[in-house]
Amino acid sequence: MADGPASPGGGSHESGEHSPRSNVREQDRYLPIANISRIMKKALPANGKIAKDAKETVQECVSEFISFITSEASDKCQREKRKTINGDDLLWAMATLGFEDYIDPLKIYLTRYREGDTKGSAKGGDSSSKKDVQPSPNAQLAHQGSFSQGVSYTISQTFCFQH
Amino acid sequence: MMDNVGGSSSNIAENSGIIREQDRLLPIANVGKIMKQILPPNAKISKESKETMQECVSEFISFVTSEASEKCRKERRKTVNGDDICWALGSLGFDDYAEPLRRYLQRYREQELDRANNPPKRG
Repeated sequence: MADGPASPGGGSHESGEHSPRSNVREQDRYLPIANISRIMKKALPANGKIAKDAKETVQECVSEFISFITSEASDKCQREKRKTINGDDLLWAMATLGFEDYIDPLKIYLTRYREGDTKGSAKGGDSSSKKDVQPSPNAQLAHQGSFSQGVSYTISQTFCFQH
Repeated sequence: MMDNVGGSSSNIAENSGIIREQDRLLPIANVGKIMKQILPPNAKISKESKETMQECVSEFISFVTSEASEKCRKERRKTVNGDDICWALGSLGFDDYAEPLRRYLQRYREQELDRANNPPKRG
């Protein structure tokens, strides 16, 4: 069996070249493992460690999760003869697929997003360079920052209840 | 409170206050690419949709990892491994994810073993 092409650096350095993955270029199919690792670390105690197989399992899992929700949202858009998937379509898809606990925090997120569009203007359009440097903080941006932390807090509370 | 996340083992240079977006979320270009792969060729994705997915997917990672970490804590192990992730998915109700990922892990380990037995030539 042919191996997929080697990933050219970036966030996927930790992936082995013989990882059991398809021939689609890794950087197109997965999210960068360094970023995933960083997010996972925040959920661990200070002395916790993450095995490489755990990181790659989450890498695989999270791509599937994105595809799952996007596919459901896409079906809805096709039925309604719309070409562009928007945030509400994703929220609808999550509710349909059983991720109800995600809906309320993300609705709050979308409302703030549409009111301020701080994130959009800060990013300067759709460019998605790796160096996503934020401008020096102003009042609006600081508000956005505290909002983001609020979302995390809200979500954590919801799931703590669920636990 | 987010400032307290991470410890001596963390290599993140976190500023006090706002955690940099590039540390908190996965890159929007990669998220967009994965979304695109499942869509019909003429479909478009709004920016708010990509950003909503960025938020959602980071939370999903934290949720699953927290559950796995709790299991490790109870068993007094320090390293979260792939089996812990699969267990956490099952525990949280993502059974449809757990089974394919167990098969993924099995193949992963078989190939790791192959690599150990037949080190690739270098040079």
